[in-house]
Amino acid sequence: MTILITVIGTILFGLIAPVVGCLLAGLDRVISARMQGRVGPPVLQPYYDVRKLFEKESVAVNSVERTYVACALLFACVAGGVFFTGGNLLMCVFVITLSSLFFIMAAYSSRSPYAEVGAARETLQVMAYEPMVLLLAVGFYLAAGTFNVGDVLALDVPIIATIWLVFLGLLFILTIKLRKSPFDLSMSHHAHQEIVRGMTTEMSGPTLGLVEIMHWCENVLFLGWIGMFFVWGNPLSIILAVAVVLAVYFLEIWIDNNFARVKWQFMLKSAWAVALVAGGVNIAFLAFM
Amino acid sequence: MALLGFLIVFPLVVAAVLLAVRGDGARNVIVGASAVIIGVASVVLVATNLGTPGVYFEFSSVVLDYVCTGVSVVLVGIVLSFAVRYKNLLAGVLALIQLAGALVLEFAFAHEVEVPIGLYFDSLSLLMAFIIGVIGGGICVYALGYMRDFQAHEPADAKDRRPLFFALMFVFLSAMYVIVFSNNMMWMFTGWEVTTVCSFLLIGYTKTDEAIANAFRQIVMNLAGGIGFLVALYVCAIQLETLSFVEFIMLGVADPALVGLAVVALAFAGITKAAQMPFQTWLLGAMVAPTPTSALLHSSTMVKAGVFLLVKLAPIMLMSPVPSMMVMLVGGITFLLCSFMAISQSNAKRVLAYSTIANLGLITACAGVGTPEAVWAAEFLILFHAIAKSLLFLCVGTAEHHIGSRDIESMDLLFDRMPRLARFMMLGIMCMFIAPFGMLVAKWATLVSFVDMDQVALVIILAFGSAATFMFWAKWLGKLAGIAGEPENVEVTVHKSEWASLLLMAALLVAACVTLPLISAFVVEPYVVSVYGILGQGITTDNLWIASICVAIVVIVLFAGMGGSKARKVDVYLAGVSRGSEERAFQNALSGTSVATARNWYMDDVFGEKRIAPVGVVFNSIIMAAAFVIAAVAPMVL
Repeated sequence: MTILITVIGTILFGLIAPVVGCLLAGLDRVISARMQGRVGPPVLQPYYDVRKLFEKESVAVNSVERTYVACALLFACVAGGVFFTGGNLLMCVFVITLSSLFFIMAAYSSRSPYAEVGAARETLQVMAYEPMVLLLAVGFYLAAGTFNVGDVLALDVPIIATIWLVFLGLLFILTIKLRKSPFDLSMSHHAHQEIVRGMTTEMSGPTLGLVEIMHWCENVLFLGWIGMFFVWGNPLSIILAVAVVLAVYFLEIWIDNNFARVKWQFMLKSAWAVALVAGGVNIAFLAFM
Repeated sequence: MALLGFLIVFPLVVAAVLLAVRGDGARNVIVGASAVIIGVASVVLVATNLGTPGVYFEFSSVVLDYVCTGVSVVLVGIVLSFAVRYKNLLAGVLALIQLAGALVLEFAFAHEVEVPIGLYFDSLSLLMAFIIGVIGGGICVYALGYMRDFQAHEPADAKDRRPLFFALMFVFLSAMYVIVFSNNMMWMFTGWEVTTVCSFLLIGYTKTDEAIANAFRQIVMNLAGGIGFLVALYVCAIQLETLSFVEFIMLGVADPALVGLAVVALAFAGITKAAQMPFQTWLLGAMVAPTPTSALLHSSTMVKAGVFLLVKLAPIMLMSPVPSMMVMLVGGITFLLCSFMAISQSNAKRVLAYSTIANLGLITACAGVGTPEAVWAAEFLILFHAIAKSLLFLCVGTAEHHIGSRDIESMDLLFDRMPRLARFMMLGIMCMFIAPFGMLVAKWATLVSFVDMDQVALVIILAFGSAATFMFWAKWLGKLAGIAGEPENVEVTVHKSEWASLLLMAALLVAACVTLPLISAFVVEPYVVSVYGILGQGITTDNLWIASICVAIVVIVLFAGMGGSKARKVDVYLAGVSRGSEERAFQNALSGTSVATARNWYMDDVFGEKRIAPVGVVFNSIIMAAAFVIAAVAPMVL
């Protein structure tokens, strides 16, 4: 039964998340433009861009890159399907890591020096945020008494009440996961960075289109993690969760536009320190109190 | 019981025959056939006893007791002769202490203690028997081709010592069967010491200075562990008046305070054998041996004997805090620090060695936690680690013989140069660290069991250790994944026996990952239930099936979904006109040719051995010393 629900959820997520993610990306570009004193493109610009990418000629440096990217997209959808059908949070975390790994392998497979630098940095980014993500799942388990995301709907108080420190930790690494500056080391949408496209240097046309769609899906999933903190038995809490998600997204855009890229040493140390303090202290508190 | 006896005796007979056979052809036939026989016998044993709660055989023999004592004397004699020849005082002294201890124990104390049930097997023994028979047998077959190449690389006048090599491999298998099937702890101890000395001889096989030095490091550490085992035997014989392992565990669960010292001593023995910090150096040093030896030591024998003993002790750990704390902390710290150090290594075998030690640390920590869920996780860690690690060692061994290096940096373009081998290697690597493959499912269960017991320190260790694990595997995987042009395929000269073993391991790996829920139901759960009386599966079966479906998808993509794209091929972008995509040469600003090079990240100043190893050595030594003192003193104080 769970398997069937997960499959259906994956398909639905694969259809809905790109739409939501595309709109979010459009909002990002408009808000960023306003912050920089520009008018910015229409909200649907990301959609136009991707549609154009799929109309371009299929050009590649090898025959496997697109297979890897397709796998990354597929598993991002599976992770989303697991999460939004109320499945096991750890399962969701592990599957999205698998998706990241396929994307990293796609970049490595091209053997472009720029893509390799990007892939190595992305690997480092995964290492930087992974402890906090695992501690997020553990914190959720201690707060909700289960790993099943769906069970938050039966809670009397939202989990933010008990694991707000974990929430802060998640906020910190969310910037890495969304690949926003100052942690956009592996690839960036800011033209002024020392390496801009990094991982996607050799990806073009439809392959790049798939990468964009994967990012939309990922963004929706990660913002879902944020929303999960504010949902409980009260149906109206969904509205609260959406409001918080939008506020957090705005915060991320603001950070993206106001901080310069940092070096990997700072990213690794700060992310691990945050995980240790925010995650560790909160979990220890829940376990021993 | 006939089958148990066969599994123990048959490899010994084969070993004796192999010692006499000098021809390549005859050896190939004997090793191949015996490996198949041992593998099939193990599978038959497992298949006919699926789901068994444990079968115990009334079997005792004074003659066998004397044989065991005789074997101990011979082993000590071997170690002593080496110690004298290479002037290693410490090894000689430890061997003499052990000999004296064993003889006094046998003739003064153990003689009075009767163990009516000599042999047994339960579902855990069956799991181990499967690993020893099928994976160990597969490695023996692989060694045929590998050792022929190895001998060809030796100087022409070098003595062909392969008969000894293969004989030792089979003795090893036999000793492992003794360990997993013996209920008489004296017999188990004999098997334990045989594995120690076998690996000593295998590590020193090449007789270079480095090999001899590393072999002695191994023997010193493991003899110390053996003395720990002896201490436990003394406590059992004198205080508890039993040398039956099953009875010992039952007594321990009923009255943990009574067995405190014995459990700490046994756990110490297990920790040395499983190469936990501060004893990690012996396993790292063992790499100097030919690759099949490493594969055997890391996957199906030796270190697995250590964790087997620890997992067996898990029910007592659950009841008794001192040994439990010691085993948990030693295992946890080892897992974390060895995962860190693996990042800084570029030698493929060294990365594998650190990863082995780290994973054994995780199994050790699970044994220390001791809950049904933790034992469930530990059993799967043992199984998947055995298969994946043997696959990886065999891949690295073959790659080394064909590309002339075991450095990961030299494995550039392996996907082109050795397409089949690279895929096997990628499969093995993915199984080691990424969901939905078996190893990560087991880690997932481990995490759940740690959280349920409120082991906050272990949860944090697992979180950071897993992140480091991702780093060092992913960058290796990336190195393999690179594709450029059509370089020469160098894998056509790989021996058939090597392909056969590689294929066996890869097939086993995929099969085990896909059928994980079934293995849980028929092999792992029965053991957990027989020991604890309750089910202990931290992950729901539905989620296990989702994982196995994902495995199937990934495997299909890896082996069938690559290539065949219609996209137009272009050269990579090099910020200049490309002059050859394969070697990444491009036209530079002065119209000359520049070559772009890229190396993996090793971050030696953050994760280097010099910086991290001493931390683990100091911490774990203190923890173990404290545990011994508390366990020895506590009964007198209380």
